[in-house]
Amino acid sequence: MRASDESPIAIRRGAGVRSVLPLLAAALLASGVAACGDDGGRGRPSASLDSGLHGAVLPEARLKGDFTLTATDGEPYDFRRETEGEVALLFFGYTHCPNACPVQMATLGAAYEKLPMELQQRVEVVFVSTDPARDTLPRLRSWLDNFSESFVGLRGSRDQVNRIMQGYGLPPAQIDTTASGPGEPGDGYTVGHAAHVLVFTPDGRLRLMYPTGTRQRAWVEDLRALAREGTAAVTGAANAPSGSAPGGG
Amino acid sequence: MQWWCSAQSGYWSWAWQPYVGVWLLVGGLALAYWLLWRGSEPGERDGGEPGSFALGLLLLWAALDWPLAALGATYLATAHMVQYTLISMAAAPLMLRGLPDGTLRRALDAGTAGRILEAATRPMVAFVLFNVVLVGTHWPVVLDTLMATQVGSFALDALSLVAGALFWWPIVSPVPERPGFREVWKLAYLFLNTIPGTIVGLMLVYAEYPAYATYELAPPVFGVSALADQQVAGLVMKFGGGLVLWSVMGVIFFRWYLRESEEAGPAVPADAGAGS
Repeated sequence: MRASDESPIAIRRGAGVRSVLPLLAAALLASGVAACGDDGGRGRPSASLDSGLHGAVLPEARLKGDFTLTATDGEPYDFRRETEGEVALLFFGYTHCPNACPVQMATLGAAYEKLPMELQQRVEVVFVSTDPARDTLPRLRSWLDNFSESFVGLRGSRDQVNRIMQGYGLPPAQIDTTASGPGEPGDGYTVGHAAHVLVFTPDGRLRLMYPTGTRQRAWVEDLRALAREGTAAVTGAANAPSGSAPGGG
Repeated sequence: MQWWCSAQSGYWSWAWQPYVGVWLLVGGLALAYWLLWRGSEPGERDGGEPGSFALGLLLLWAALDWPLAALGATYLATAHMVQYTLISMAAAPLMLRGLPDGTLRRALDAGTAGRILEAATRPMVAFVLFNVVLVGTHWPVVLDTLMATQVGSFALDALSLVAGALFWWPIVSPVPERPGFREVWKLAYLFLNTIPGTIVGLMLVYAEYPAYATYELAPPVFGVSALADQQVAGLVMKFGGGLVLWSVMGVIFFRWYLRESEEAGPAVPADAGAGS
């Protein structure tokens, strides 16, 4: 896995250590997958808690929760309602992101295009901007279209988005004005954020996390399984939901 | 700052990056050649072509330095494949061609090292070594592992250069009597060598998924997807290397034909000397 300026699931300012611990455990497992995962899609990592999937299964499933943000078409987007009964992939990032975001989105976009049409219709990829100051709706749409025109882009206030992230046990996004150097196209700052893709099964629960470094083959295999089998694809760790549902908007 | 170009994180940028190790290598090779040339007796300089060596060195520099090296180490398999082709198929034979015969004879006569060199430049051995390096360094796990560090990336480039020099030795024949390779065998040798590159190239072209994590997990550049980039890389390996090999085969065949035509003497008309 590449070095990143965006430490995945970094516990920084007051994210609520207890609420983060289950996700941290999953993230550590997932990081292990990436570290030994040069063959990403070719071998099955052992960190998936016997689910047979490549992502890290959360020790405790979480409710999808309610939040409504503005989609790139300017309309309100109710995440729970719009993704009801679907496999929903949620990623928090920003369009000036130098590494994790374009890598995750490019890999997901390529994997999504490989799914048959009927399975594509059961999968929703949602990108939430952690940098609303620079990510205007047209910019967000234009950037996402590089990866897939089917991907949903959402924008809200920084506070709204941070509340949603914290609701899922993720640390809030943080602006870093000290980052600079070649290869970083930002306008003077970067945004630290969790770099994992959160995967919700059709029963409306957050059950899996995928780190940066998950490869196309792994995504295709897992999305096929999740779209076909639904929650049953996540075996061995599909616990009852716990924790509070996020509500950011 | 990196001394040798290896995989990086972050977006591709046209901001120039210095690679001191590359400069030292290229400068060191140029200096060594100059000292060698200056220290040689006029008779020992036979066969040496400074222009050929300089062109080879220039291509080596272009392959190892920014921007091609930076693109090839992180972002584009195509750029890596162009690098590989430049190093092993162009720089290596040109630099070898530029070395004076006397220097190479001395190298071949230099005890154990000379015996190793003599063995490694035998056509069958050189063929096998070259293709083991070709396949080995393009094996996904090997490439991803080596490209991640400066030392590994240097090893990749060095292996390509050395394997290229060994492979081209029997063709360029810097020391004509060793190995004394006739044209027909040169043609067969070169033709056989189009096969492994074609196999590796086509495997990349027809792969369902990106083979290399290095390029798949890099931020996209120029709007090219990882799979499309890999397909172009496969075509570069097949046609880039193939173009060099077939061009050299053409030259060898043409020279062979000309030589035999000269040896046969001028054609005599069928009715020459017939009385009326």
